Amino acid sequence: MKQTIYRLLFAFQLTAAGLAFTSCNDLLEPTPVQQLSDDKAITDAGSARSATIGVYDRVQAYYQLNWPVLGFLPGEDVRFNGTLNQFLQIDQNQLSADNVLITEAWTQMYQAVNGANNVIAGVAGVSDPLLPATEKDQLLGEAYFLRALVYFDLGRGWGGVPLVLTPTRSKENGQGIGRSTLAQTYDQVLADLTQAETLLPDATTRNRAVKASARALRARLHLYRQQWADAETYASQVISSNNYRLVTPYRAISTAPFLSQESVFELTFSNSDANSMWNNWFPSALGGQFNFQPVPAIIGLLNDPNVGGSRSALLATTTIAGANVTYGNLYSRSAQRDDPSYVLRIAEQYLIRAEARARQGKLTQALADLNAVRARAGVPASTAATADQLLLAIESERRVEFAFEADRWFDLVRTGRAGTVLGITDQRRWVLPIPFNDLVADPALVQNPGY
Amino acid sequence: MKLSTLLTAPIAVVSFTSASYAQIASIQTVTGTVTDATDRSPLPGVTVVVRGTTTGASTDGNGQFSLVLPAGGNTLLISAVGYQSQTVSVTGGAVNIALQADVKQLNEVVVTGYSEQNRKTLTSAISSVKGDELKDIPAASPDQLLQGKAPGVQVSANSGVPGGGIFIRIRGSNSVNASNDPLYVVDGVFINNTNLLATGLGNQVSSNPLADLNPQDIENIEILKDANATAIYGSRGANGVVLITTKRGKAGDKTRITFNTYQAWSKAPKQYDLVSGSELATLENERFLNDGGNPTQVPYRPVDSGGRGLPEEQATYDRLSDVFRTARTQSYELSAAGGSAKTQFYIGGGYFKQESVARPSSFDRFSLRVNLDNSVTDKLRIGTSTALSRTHRNVSSNDNNPVGVINSALFTRSNLPKFNPDGSYAKYGSFDNAQALINNLNNDAVGSRVISNVYGEYRFLKNLTLRSSWSIDFNDMYENNFNNTLILAGQPRGTANSYLSRDITLLNEQTLNYHVDFGDHSIQAVVGNTIQKNTFQRTSLAGQQFPSNDLTTIASAATQTGSSSRSQAGLLSYFGKATYSFKQRYTADVSVRADASSRFGQDNRWGYFPAVGLGWRLGEESFIRDLNVFQELKLRASIGKTGNQAGISDFAALGLVQGGANYLDLPGTAPLQLANPNLSWESTRQWNVGLDATVLHNRLLLELNYYDKYTSGLLLNVPVPRKTGFASVVENYGAVSNKGVEVQVTANWVSNPAVQWSTTFNVARNVNKIEKLASPITTGSRDIFRLEEGAPLYSFWLYHQTGVNRESGDAEYQDVNGDGQITVADRKLVGNAWPNYFGGVTNSVTYKGFDFNFLLNFEQGAKIMNMNRFFLVHGGTQSNIGYLREQLDRWQKPGDVTNIPRLTTNATSNNYGGTVQNLSDRYLEDGSFLRLRTLTLGYSLPKATVSKAHLNSLRVYVQAANLFTITPYSGLDPEVNSQSGVSNTKNFDWATVPQPRTFQVGVTVGL
Repeated sequence: MKQTIYRLLFAFQLTAAGLAFTSCNDLLEPTPVQQLSDDKAITDAGSARSATIGVYDRVQAYYQLNWPVLGFLPGEDVRFNGTLNQFLQIDQNQLSADNVLITEAWTQMYQAVNGANNVIAGVAGVSDPLLPATEKDQLLGEAYFLRALVYFDLGRGWGGVPLVLTPTRSKENGQGIGRSTLAQTYDQVLADLTQAETLLPDATTRNRAVKASARALRARLHLYRQQWADAETYASQVISSNNYRLVTPYRAISTAPFLSQESVFELTFSNSDANSMWNNWFPSALGGQFNFQPVPAIIGLLNDPNVGGSRSALLATTTIAGANVTYGNLYSRSAQRDDPSYVLRIAEQYLIRAEARARQGKLTQALADLNAVRARAGVPASTAATADQLLLAIESERRVEFAFEADRWFDLVRTGRAGTVLGITDQRRWVLPIPFNDLVADPALVQNPGY
Repeated sequence: MKLSTLLTAPIAVVSFTSASYAQIASIQTVTGTVTDATDRSPLPGVTVVVRGTTTGASTDGNGQFSLVLPAGGNTLLISAVGYQSQTVSVTGGAVNIALQADVKQLNEVVVTGYSEQNRKTLTSAISSVKGDELKDIPAASPDQLLQGKAPGVQVSANSGVPGGGIFIRIRGSNSVNASNDPLYVVDGVFINNTNLLATGLGNQVSSNPLADLNPQDIENIEILKDANATAIYGSRGANGVVLITTKRGKAGDKTRITFNTYQAWSKAPKQYDLVSGSELATLENERFLNDGGNPTQVPYRPVDSGGRGLPEEQATYDRLSDVFRTARTQSYELSAAGGSAKTQFYIGGGYFKQESVARPSSFDRFSLRVNLDNSVTDKLRIGTSTALSRTHRNVSSNDNNPVGVINSALFTRSNLPKFNPDGSYAKYGSFDNAQALINNLNNDAVGSRVISNVYGEYRFLKNLTLRSSWSIDFNDMYENNFNNTLILAGQPRGTANSYLSRDITLLNEQTLNYHVDFGDHSIQAVVGNTIQKNTFQRTSLAGQQFPSNDLTTIASAATQTGSSSRSQAGLLSYFGKATYSFKQRYTADVSVRADASSRFGQDNRWGYFPAVGLGWRLGEESFIRDLNVFQELKLRASIGKTGNQAGISDFAALGLVQGGANYLDLPGTAPLQLANPNLSWESTRQWNVGLDATVLHNRLLLELNYYDKYTSGLLLNVPVPRKTGFASVVENYGAVSNKGVEVQVTANWVSNPAVQWSTTFNVARNVNKIEKLASPITTGSRDIFRLEEGAPLYSFWLYHQTGVNRESGDAEYQDVNGDGQITVADRKLVGNAWPNYFGGVTNSVTYKGFDFNFLLNFEQGAKIMNMNRFFLVHGGTQSNIGYLREQLDRWQKPGDVTNIPRLTTNATSNNYGGTVQNLSDRYLEDGSFLRLRTLTLGYSLPKATVSKAHLNSLRVYVQAANLFTITPYSGLDPEVNSQSGVSNTKNFDWATVPQPRTFQVGVTVGL
């Protein structure tokens, strides 16, 4: 008995000593099972595809809530009805540099840029028979397109921003890169879109970038830069494609399974990759938080058969405690949580071309483009006769056509009418503040004046 | 010296071997009975030695002993742990000896890291708390019981949710990103203290893993505070170490069976003070007019003119009474302890159930403990300490969560009905219906925990012992949540989540202990190694769209999604420690530990943590002894270094790309973190000087400590320019210091067989400061906290309101940079959540069979951000939130003097919105408090009476907890930390369950 016990104890010690010395490496160098070392991120066909998908995911991240909010909430048509001050500030056009939503959007956008930079730098060097040259081009083209989209959004949000074009491996990367001008930023967008258009396939996909996505964004870029002829050219290229048309009824755009012929580029969500935007619009009686509430003016416009027409489908009504309550219904898939984020639509291409043509004096053609959009909504044709009337009519059309999408604020800032329409006369407030925390972390950054 | 876990004092060894001396021929036999002077119960296991000889005996289960007096010996020295030793002159025959409980601490044996030490030779700062002091407090977890008990140990419950998280800091916070929680060691097992609850409850740490331990099983708790005490724990010691020793059987002890129960009733001591429906309407109308509204169109005007009715017509609905209740707590515990010379055991089983004062949360626990020790031979001992527990939590969200129970009741406007005309639950704004939540929340979390250790101990020589111990801490949490369609979380067709989380630590350690006394010299040494491996894994499942509210498992869901994750870390350590003592007068300690962690790069993997300590018992020097003032006078000094690696991810040093960045249901990867191959240990240097003194014939005991800690190479998420695509990188950058003083005074006012009265007072002050930081870091909801060089952690970053303009009624703020406008640059640090000082008072009186105790604890000077006021004094900017009555004090007309600005939603006034975003320090309050934590009156029935009922002992008691709290704080409870899940924040009050006021009755029966 004693002998046995001594042996047992001895065996214990031996095992322990053994554990300590022989399996030291296992103990001290465990391998992560759910992450990859960054130098192994893009090595073959599978990882190249995954890295590209990852960029879409980051673009999705800022387009799900933050970017639409920055588009519609500073405008006059949606009010914030919740408790969070960062939204209230946006609603009241009283932004401060510590607004946490703006910080979050800025962070997400540069994450997307870094993802795209990784693909652009990494995919070219992959040699894998399973990754044919055409697909390689496609992945690169997508990365260029997405980077262009993010830099375009950064530009219209903040003005010129730092242009980082190579993947980050250490925190020293990017050191000293200060803010470019808005023109330089847009130039970069143009360069990326040019690349993208060359590389991307001429396909009909609507939730991944194709040639037409790059052209449509390019039309918008030229519009923002007031390069009317180019805007018209690129919008025409998209409009003339058989793959895109104004769908009827209007509601078909936002009806499952989505990806209607209206859509040039949209970000698809699914139940396992959920979009909870509906939750912000639905009243609590329907399970939402009712954070974003359409104001009476836009409810009036959308319900007006001569203005909104079938776009009244953007609204819905329910009864709460005996009273009728109207709420925004663009994002309505509360069970399936698969509402897309709408990025580029053919209706916008028509209105881009209408505006570009009006600016070039092609009033009849411009009016035809405007009326194409109106006709789809079932409202009478516009009677605008002069260029100025046309431009105003286009602005009003955009207001109802894209009421709850990422448009109104950027549109009014672009045309310089945010002061007249919204009463924001301090033009310094037409760009967003650079996040305060990032200014502190990055000596190369300079704040926009007025913040 | 591991025998002493069983027989405690060195003299006990004598008793253990006494049998061999009993045969010495003599003629005089002494018999006797040793009892407790207070309750007259017999004391087993008491050592009786004839002074000047090695003859001795120990008492049996009835407190009786018998020994033969050697020639010339006529004085018995009677000693027992926890009692004052006594000498008795005998000449033979029978004696009765009553021992007084020992209230002074100096003769205690103190459990230190991997060894034990007599308090006399201790050079470290260690606080001890006896399990007996803790057992009646109606709290689920042992850490919470330490509140007010030990100087320098700041303990506060994050909320009044039973089994919920605890904020505990030993000598302040050392770290920014790594953990600041102490290491808990239960009977040698390093236990996991990570919350495993995955269900999001509103940013509060939702469970306290220590609640898996039954406080009633605890023999004592030692809190190791200075580096000399903790350096032996190396990389895990920087935040202090809490050693919990559970009860064990004693040799020669007749089996003692104890049944213990208490029943308690709790209520929230205070309630929110909301406006009535008509007051709300008045405020809203005023806000409407202040915003320039048309006076004929105010919202609360007659219904027939299109309004919502006149203010006086508004009803008031009380939702809070639906939420708060009289909550029950019950505890039952049955234990048995005893042993023969060879085998000793303790077994205990317990059931504890506690309801939260806010519906519907509750906590219950079944626990079981088996501690066994067996002497296989003279040289070999084996044993185990094993605890099993099963906890069940019914959890519900509060704090920062609009669909939380308290939120929904508190924030919803008081003039709005609870139900729709059709009888369904009415919901407003982002809030749910509180009653709907109470009736329908279905969140179950079942925890299973095994903390077990087996050891073998072999005594090679008299003084040389090898011990090998193998431990597991298995912590498992299984959560099942179902949200039906009646609550918002279940929209639109029911949602469910299920999580299985498992945290396992395996630990093996070997120690070699050597102890030798020669002449006046004494040496104690230990060397050892440990291997630790920790694995964490979680599987989560979600389901949406259920066919019915009665089908609640994910199997019924139309859409089912799942995910799982795993991670692991290892730690390899070697350590050694030696103590040399001369005449028990001069003592020197030296220790070192070397740790290798898998979390760091190969070149920086090893960390070395040395410490030294010196003790000098001046009281033993003749020049002091001759003063005849001090019964004890000791100076202590120590310095050492400890490390920290907790709280960072297992792979923090690597540049990683993570999966899960999916799109179109295709797998995607995205950059996760930047590499830092230089990442290494965060280390804390601490020195400590201390003084222990006993004067006035042991009536007054004083313990003083001063410490200075400097933590450098902080494991910090250093902000990087976001243009890189990252927000931060983990680096060893920055430093934090904590300096402080601790005082403990014990007064033994009266100490005689009939009456014993003692009071212990402790107070501590800690000054925390961020010494070095790359750039300021903001954190917490709305970035309310900001870390800045030169300021303490937990500093509030707000606009400072200087007043309300008497003429305009608008708030005025300090223009910090003097540029004439209020921008974010005018936010400043306006206070912090650290108390200037904190401590407690414990008072204990026993008179005959009665015992009377109270415990006060206090904190002075900590600030609390009262988010309830932030939301409920909103001036009209929150269209779906009601008002606290404080809003009625708003400015109304020129000349009004108040600090509540005029009602308005106008952003440019900055009153409640605008640039300031309501982030005004008018919601920052003084959270000082003095609280009567417990007040207890007990009575132990006389032995004679109890015997008639065939019982050994019987004590009944009544107790009140939180009977009163004196505080200037306007919220429900100044002990609050509702954003405990958010790092670097503290003292947020946000729709949180307060600490309850509890009345309790209990009985302890010795069978």
